[in-house]
Amino acid sequence: MNQSLVIKDLHVSIGDKPIVKGLNLEVPKGEVHAIMGLNGSGKSTLAKAIAGHPDYTITSGTVRLDGEDILGLEADARSRAGLFLAFQYPSEIPGVSNANFIRAALQARLGEGEELEAVDYYHRLYEKMDMLEIRRDFTARSVNEGFSGGEKKRNEILQMAMLEPSYAILDETDSGLDIDALKIVAHGVNTLKGPNLGVLLITHYQRLLNYIVPDQVHVMMDGRIVHSGDKSLALELDEKGYDWITPAELAAA
Amino acid sequence: MAAPKADIDIDRSAGDFSYPEAHTFDAGTGLTAATVDYISKVKDEPEWIREFRQKALEVFNKKAMPTHWATKDLDNIIFNNIRYYLSRGQKPSRSWDDVPEDMKRTFERLGIPEQERKFLAGVEAQFDSEAAYSNIKKAVGDQGVIFVGSTEGLKEHPEIFRKWFGKVIPTGDNKFSALNSAVFSGGSFIYVPPGVKVKHPLQAYFRINSENFGQFERTLIIADEGAEVMYMEGCTAPKFETATLHSAVVELVALKGAKIQYVTVQNWSNNVFNLVTKRGLAMEDAEVKWIDCNIGSRLTMKYPGVVMKGPRARGEVISIALAGNGQHQDTGAKMIHAADDTTSNVISKSISVGTGRATYRGQVLVPKHLKNCKNNTECDALLINPTSRTDTYPAITVRGAKNAMQHEASVSKVSAEQIFYMMQRGLTEGQAMSLTVNGFVNDLVRQFPMEYSVELKRLIDLEMEGSVG
Amino acid sequence: MSEQTDTLLTADYADTAEARDATRIADEPTDVGLPRGLLNPPDAPSGQGLPDWFLTSRAQAWQSFEALEMPARTEQAWRFASLGKIKLQAYHAPLPVAGEVADRLIERSVGNTTVAGKMVFANDALLDRRLFSPELAAQGVIWKPLEAAVVEHADLFRKHFMVQEAVLGSQKFAALHRAHVRTGTFLYVPKNVEIALPLEVFHWLSGEAGSSFPHTLIIAEAGSKVTLVDYFESDRSEETGFACAVNDLIIGPGAKLTYVCAQNWGEKVVSFQINSTTVERDAAAMSLHLNLGASYARLESLSRLVGAGGRSDMLAATVTQGDQEFDQRTLQDHVQPHTTSDLLYKNSLSDTAKTVFAGLIRVQPEAQHTDAYQKVRNLMLSDDAEANSMPGLEILADEVRCTHGATSGHVDDEELFYLLSRGISHKAAQELIVHGFLNEVLERLPDAHATPKLGALLAEKFARMKRQQSPAA
Repeated sequence: MNQSLVIKDLHVSIGDKPIVKGLNLEVPKGEVHAIMGLNGSGKSTLAKAIAGHPDYTITSGTVRLDGEDILGLEADARSRAGLFLAFQYPSEIPGVSNANFIRAALQARLGEGEELEAVDYYHRLYEKMDMLEIRRDFTARSVNEGFSGGEKKRNEILQMAMLEPSYAILDETDSGLDIDALKIVAHGVNTLKGPNLGVLLITHYQRLLNYIVPDQVHVMMDGRIVHSGDKSLALELDEKGYDWITPAELAAA
Repeated sequence: MAAPKADIDIDRSAGDFSYPEAHTFDAGTGLTAATVDYISKVKDEPEWIREFRQKALEVFNKKAMPTHWATKDLDNIIFNNIRYYLSRGQKPSRSWDDVPEDMKRTFERLGIPEQERKFLAGVEAQFDSEAAYSNIKKAVGDQGVIFVGSTEGLKEHPEIFRKWFGKVIPTGDNKFSALNSAVFSGGSFIYVPPGVKVKHPLQAYFRINSENFGQFERTLIIADEGAEVMYMEGCTAPKFETATLHSAVVELVALKGAKIQYVTVQNWSNNVFNLVTKRGLAMEDAEVKWIDCNIGSRLTMKYPGVVMKGPRARGEVISIALAGNGQHQDTGAKMIHAADDTTSNVISKSISVGTGRATYRGQVLVPKHLKNCKNNTECDALLINPTSRTDTYPAITVRGAKNAMQHEASVSKVSAEQIFYMMQRGLTEGQAMSLTVNGFVNDLVRQFPMEYSVELKRLIDLEMEGSVG
Repeated sequence: MSEQTDTLLTADYADTAEARDATRIADEPTDVGLPRGLLNPPDAPSGQGLPDWFLTSRAQAWQSFEALEMPARTEQAWRFASLGKIKLQAYHAPLPVAGEVADRLIERSVGNTTVAGKMVFANDALLDRRLFSPELAAQGVIWKPLEAAVVEHADLFRKHFMVQEAVLGSQKFAALHRAHVRTGTFLYVPKNVEIALPLEVFHWLSGEAGSSFPHTLIIAEAGSKVTLVDYFESDRSEETGFACAVNDLIIGPGAKLTYVCAQNWGEKVVSFQINSTTVERDAAAMSLHLNLGASYARLESLSRLVGAGGRSDMLAATVTQGDQEFDQRTLQDHVQPHTTSDLLYKNSLSDTAKTVFAGLIRVQPEAQHTDAYQKVRNLMLSDDAEANSMPGLEILADEVRCTHGATSGHVDDEELFYLLSRGISHKAAQELIVHGFLNEVLERLPDAHATPKLGALLAEKFARMKRQQSPAA
């Protein structure tokens, strides 16, 4: 069995407008890949479409987790199949505490009649919170309500730590973070990294990649991957911008 | 480990069963002066009550349906098709062992005896027109607390009963209070002596078992100076083909410094017209608090009120309404400030699901020449489906320049982004919806006693399950 | 229990037979010797060549007026209203004013300094009409009295004149208006024409027990822009009178209309105003009512958002004194998706005055993505004043953002103390605070050319109040 997240010839539209236009990508388990690109290149569309957002229509192509096609599944089933999306703009859910929310998500992964063990749950939760330097009173606060940008992103990584996905897509996780918060988030991701997790980072700044070192970097333009390389590509993009990726490169891709 | 589900299984379907009827006393179908006399005779009441009932019947017949402001659905109540009194002539038993078998099984299925053992100071269980069981813990009775049915109350304690009966809610308050005054049966009479603070709640459970039946219980609670009491009521009925009517009158009197909390968790089946008049009188430094949760019924019209008659009195209504498919929850609050320095607070949250309609109707009145009266009202409505409806109709009258009133309302819906966010974490759409709705009412649910808040959460989950897809 | 509390305990104290009788409009003459005033059928108007349909519609309107029940307070649309103040038999039909009165009123019709045009009416007769910007006529702008428009622009007139029925309670009074209306303003602004300066219209009531039925019909075609100000004034403040004004405001796609009404009738006048605004796609309507006059003033304002992208701002500032009553009923009717409405009504209440505000936001099932706001604020300045607020919502779509709020409060003691500590007298301080309170409404008016006169009317009202409070001075 292929232990990868494999995206083949993916086409995604919003309404009638094609955004992702034949994208191919493979993220093997245990690796960290980054997708870089300018605003409007289709990066966030890719993330939401893979996660099953109803506003995004996949017109053709396949997305497989460890060989299993997930495009026929609802968003919740994709999540339970091992896919995690850290949102660029996480939703606020008034009145629902973080502890209850994460607990409900874990409970949803258990079989009929199985109950989450409360003591173990809190033990694990506090451990992950400590790693992300999250205060204890966080558990009683409503999900993302009144959170600062940094708190929201740390909460995304905390949920990722608790749900233990096989593949995680981090959509602009560095946006809205100051340098201290960025380091905490990066530390969290680095701690979770390992042979059982494939990570796809979506960003348009190189700075996150100073802290989370990618195995591969891909450049996305106009809905396709137009260039791939190792971590040095990110530095090159940071230095020279995207203009040097010529139309010829585009055509070759 | 969570408790096995059956333990707290008081859900919508759990109330949907009935036993064959075996009534000894049946006032028949329809409402005339003879019906009223029959009820009074069967109950062996004093003459003044019979006269009170007959006068109320006249008022009821004279009064028009309030359809000039309320829903026209009221016109679908056919008063002549309703049975106004059904009982086996049972006296309320003090022990569950003496309760007729089918009634006992009914209340066991609803979990009442178990709750009594767990956390209640007293229980009254009404089956159609009369209580089958009524008991109060000995220690509470020894403090002088009276907790009996309304019939026993008016016969055995006339000196207290007559002083307040019909005084907080006069017969002519509205058409349905007049109806109740004519045919009332069952309900509780509670008196808490000065300074006595009843630690555990007293509970009543109202069960309709018979088709075409109208239940008209009458409750009067008096907390004497400095006394405190919490009363809880639950209600269910099986789903019949035809409409059932429930029309209660509840009067609360909190004397100087007293506190009354009245908690309702209703879970009527979808064929019940639930038209209830509830009002409390709060004297100097007293507090009346209504905590009200309305789930189920075809139409509920209920506006718990507090008349703040003494200085520094406080009134509060905390209300949750869930209007499911085809249901109309028309609820609200009525706050009458009749003394200086009185404070009232209304928090109402409603959820409309499917074709459900939730309506908030409120009245706040500050008459002339009062000072430092304050009211704060907040109404939030949550809409689940495109066909759901919500209305808000408050009326606030303030006279004079020394008071402060504030009303705010908002309407929102569960956003698709919220639901997607939760589904991305692995929750099904139904679970995500339930979680959101529970979150919406969470701050109010905390005000319910723990046992009720658990039940409430389950009821919401069940209602939300059918709302998606 | 005391008598008073027993009344309080009764739920619908308005819902008793006695209350109904007491509040029902007295529609029978109290003295057989007096003429029946407005309860007599109106004379046919004397205008030249009025079309048959118009004359027929007047006759039909009179029949409707007679057939319709007089409102009662038990109706939701009239809850809290003091209907006893309305006695239609007490007024006579509009009578022409004498020449010297007309000259005086024309002279007194001073609005803002820079305006595009002006009309002056007294007792429903046109006294004066000017268009200061001659290029407007060349651009196709029509600015005529109603009786001319009904003949000369018959199709346009008929298409829009009182097509929208009164829905906020005054059906009977709308019929009365239609039966009696003789004149008013007809304004047509063609496509893409922008009128930079406001147009102003004065309606005067003159003579004891007179009446007036002013009408304003504005059609702003696509992409046009215009501001119109109606002034309702009394010749002599001590005269009684009855006024029943109706307007139809039609705002075409992408057009922008600002409508201002300064209601400054004498304080013994009974006033009705029935406004209906239709806002089409991407259009913007703003209405501002400055309510100062009348003993009983009923304002019904309907804004219908019938095209996506439409927006309606509904503003009112009301200053009460004596036993004035202002009875305001509004409806923000969202018919189409992606529409916005924002209502702000502010009342300052003195003496034994009373206000009623009943506002409804209605979101129709199709009107997804509605943004609707509604706010009423009452500033209570007297221990005997009464404010009734009924902010309502009826939401039949789910993709909406709707909020409303109602507050009733008094002058903040800290704020007052701050002003006193700067040497300002108690009365002046209070007036400043009230000014500030109302200014929040007036400042929302985008048209700077229309505001100075409103400020002046407000100042006059405060001066009147001061005189009344200290009659010796």
